[in-house]
Amino acid sequence: MKRKGIVFLFVLLTASFITICDFSYRSGQKGAYMPLERELTSQDFYIEEGFNQEPHSAQRHSTILWDTLFQRNTKEYRQNRSFYGSPPSITHPISKEMSMGGKDCLQCHKYGGFVEKWKAYTPISPHPEMVNCRQCHVPQKSQKLFKKTHFVRGSAPESKRALLGSPPSIPHSLQMRTNCLSCHAGPSAPKEISVTHPERMHCRQCHTVNRNQGSAGNFFKRNNP
Amino acid sequence: MGNLNASRRNFVKKMAALSAMTTATALFPGILFAETQRNNASTTGTLDWKKAPCRFCGVGCGVLIGIENGKAVAVKGDPNSPVNKGLCCVKGYHSIIALYGKDRLTHPLVKKNGSYVQTTMQEALDLIASKMQKTITDYGKDAVSIYGSGQWTIPDGYVASKLFKGCIGTNNVEANARLCMASAVTGFLTSFGLDEPMGCYEDIDHADIFVLWGNNMAEMHPVLFSRLLDQRLKRGAKIIDLTTRTTRTSKAADNSILFRPQTDLALANAICYELVKKGWVHRSFVEKHCSFRKGLTDMGYGLEDNYQFKDRPKKINYKDYQQFLEGYAPEKVTQLTGVSEKDIRYLATCYGDPNKKVMSFWCMGMNQHTRGTWINNLVYNIHLLTGKISTPGNSPFSLTGQPSACGTVREVGTLTHKLPHGVVMNKTHREHAAKIWGVPVENIPSKPTYHTVEMFRALDRGDIRFMWIQVTNPMVTMPKLKRYRDAAKKEQRFIVVSDVYPTPTTDIADVILPSAMWIEREGLYGNSERRTQYFEQMIPAPGEAMSDTWQMIEVAKRMGFEKQFSYQKETHIEEIYKEYTRHHEGKKHAMPPLSILKSQAGAQWPFVNGKSTQWRFNAQYDSACSNGEAFHFYGKPDGKAVIWQRPYEPAPEVPDKEFDFWLCTGRVLEHWHTGSMTRRIPVLHKAMPKAYVEVHPKDAKRLQIQTGDLVLLTSRRGTIQLPASVNERGIPEMGQVFVPFFDEDMLINELTLDAFCPISKQPDYKKCAVKVQKA
Repeated sequence: MKRKGIVFLFVLLTASFITICDFSYRSGQKGAYMPLERELTSQDFYIEEGFNQEPHSAQRHSTILWDTLFQRNTKEYRQNRSFYGSPPSITHPISKEMSMGGKDCLQCHKYGGFVEKWKAYTPISPHPEMVNCRQCHVPQKSQKLFKKTHFVRGSAPESKRALLGSPPSIPHSLQMRTNCLSCHAGPSAPKEISVTHPERMHCRQCHTVNRNQGSAGNFFKRNNP
Repeated sequence: MGNLNASRRNFVKKMAALSAMTTATALFPGILFAETQRNNASTTGTLDWKKAPCRFCGVGCGVLIGIENGKAVAVKGDPNSPVNKGLCCVKGYHSIIALYGKDRLTHPLVKKNGSYVQTTMQEALDLIASKMQKTITDYGKDAVSIYGSGQWTIPDGYVASKLFKGCIGTNNVEANARLCMASAVTGFLTSFGLDEPMGCYEDIDHADIFVLWGNNMAEMHPVLFSRLLDQRLKRGAKIIDLTTRTTRTSKAADNSILFRPQTDLALANAICYELVKKGWVHRSFVEKHCSFRKGLTDMGYGLEDNYQFKDRPKKINYKDYQQFLEGYAPEKVTQLTGVSEKDIRYLATCYGDPNKKVMSFWCMGMNQHTRGTWINNLVYNIHLLTGKISTPGNSPFSLTGQPSACGTVREVGTLTHKLPHGVVMNKTHREHAAKIWGVPVENIPSKPTYHTVEMFRALDRGDIRFMWIQVTNPMVTMPKLKRYRDAAKKEQRFIVVSDVYPTPTTDIADVILPSAMWIEREGLYGNSERRTQYFEQMIPAPGEAMSDTWQMIEVAKRMGFEKQFSYQKETHIEEIYKEYTRHHEGKKHAMPPLSILKSQAGAQWPFVNGKSTQWRFNAQYDSACSNGEAFHFYGKPDGKAVIWQRPYEPAPEVPDKEFDFWLCTGRVLEHWHTGSMTRRIPVLHKAMPKAYVEVHPKDAKRLQIQTGDLVLLTSRRGTIQLPASVNERGIPEMGQVFVPFFDEDMLINELTLDAFCPISKQPDYKKCAVKVQKA
């Protein structure tokens, strides 16, 4: 009985060995064929930095419904920013004070989605690779001030058109904001700055940065130029 | 498969659109794209971006400040700065708001019959000069003092040193960096003979392992921590957090190892024991470039007035050192440190693996330590034994907490024993300084007087009668606060405070001078990596506010030192910087010229042949190396770095039956130091409105405390009440509590102990015994 059991075990092991080998060989073959398939995706044509991380988001944007009922406007968008271009503060309570973004914040802020509790769409981070979120984004636990302030926000720069009918320029700096669609497309984008043609993807072919805002430059992410 | 098909179809569609657009451009030249449009687009508004180093911590991020109609309205990270590469933290982004608090001090105030009366700047400066003169006549030179800060710009510190040491003739010059970086300085001096890190931030881009020694970098140096996280994402670098309290850094780290307070000394020695035992010592490096020494032990803790200590180093050999390490075998220290043998061996492997580049980081955890100099020495030992030093990616890196702790306090030398170049005890150094200052060499006393704690004790005793406090808030930050606050309030003491907002320190002042802050004046800061950065005046200062530099120049002129302070108002910063750089001439510390600093995001000294030096003591990068070897530790006469035999010694006050908790104090991400600036920034104050005491969940349960409950903290020196925080920002170990010190309404320093490291004289804010009760 015992011997039979051992033989059976060996047979089983051999069989599974063959199955696994076969499977891995086949999937290896598949893998080898993949590049051809990959060439046919649009990934390689995206030039902007943000898109390389989320190659399919543009396509997703072209297919999903925009829920205009719960869309923000720029007034609401600016409410949790001290000045134009400052990191927005966090408008909802946070349960974990110690956590890093990858495990917590980005669960919602990477892809977005509707939050029933707040009746709002989650804004998508244009720089999900930076995970120490709370380094720049802080909650607002109290509404009281320590001392009053004279600080007034400057005026928001406007988007200009070079000629009548030419594409509007980008009024803000691109630092950490190279992924245009995270703020300009989808249901979490403020109405006024939602783009009508997110599927075109290569935004900066037509829209350029205002001269005094500079380019994304030697951007933080490129540590070893 | 369906998906693929869909995306293929999509792709074809998009390609069609794309090619249509391309054709369109070719066919209709009137259509504008990219560059053409960029050049025609008008610039919006009148926003003007100007570069400056950040006002807050010692990282020294480059920021760009948007100026509109004479006001600072926006901030962004400077993408051209090699420090932060365009990223800032929440404090930096909102820093400009700190300029516009409604209660900004704009006119001088003089105390008359218990209340403050507004006066003019001229009158206030006259009063200060005459009071100073009178104090000198009545009580002698050593009765006047200045207490400055690592937030002093380089010119501020320089004129302070020149006025007090060179002209008045007293060494009563101290700065709050004594509370913050003194142990780092003495650590560098004892191990290498020269202050400040040999490496730089670029080491981060090369290192494989980062070991953080008691350093909650995710909150305190967030921009650098993001650079570590970035390297982990890109290259798989590892982050190891050595800590006494679980923090955001611990959560982000690959490995978080907890140790008991003060036992880092034993832990570091245990790592060295393992390195020696496993044969991971870099023999040829140690033989060529290191010597071994031991110093005095059982030094005491400086708790008594007029405490004196002078170390007497003795040469030892490798055998002696090896024998000393025997006492620190992992199995022997695991009980003491609370770190498992496995973890100690793991740490030793990290440092010992010859194929791994290691960077160690530390800040207040190691510096605010009654054996601060020792623990600094011990971490250098690890790097020296393994030869992992002064090469890209191999770097023991001492971080700083103030924008110019390095630039002003350590390089200009605004400490009692220091001169811009060298120390007061050295005759050649005194002659060098006197010559540049244009004063007789006899003016500079050869004996140091009081370090910070002792300076305030002298104020209490009456040895010091006049104190000028600039850019710092000692009535929040001094340990054992009550004694020093009472001292300052005593009769026959005259206190001048230069600041930008009312603080608990201005409350004790006889004269309050309004200062011009940061970009309201011209100045220079020096950050942790030996980088000097310049900023121009971008906006006018409010009211009569005047830069600290010019306040001191005005007073110096009134005291009869016109000759030494004959700077022109328009060009004085440039003149002072030029004069200052003369002190540092030579390959070991040459400073970059101002023209370079104006054109780029700073430069690192030694600045030789038009180039910054990124790695000192390495012949490949540092032109001051002259021994023909790969490395030259030229700070020591024999060209060798010192491996120190430093034992473990306990803390002066440990928890007992009555006071049964360790108290640790520190910062939080949102606030910087005493919060006098950051609390006036609405977004930061709303995020972190008040201080709290962190308690371990089990202790909290035992004491029936929940988050928000009021807790009574009592030490032998005082009592305060503050809300509890359980399982929030940080979790201290059982039997320990943590309180941030930014809140002037809950002064935790009423409780702390004024014990200090006998070598560096830096107080330990991280360890004392307290009692915890539910209020």
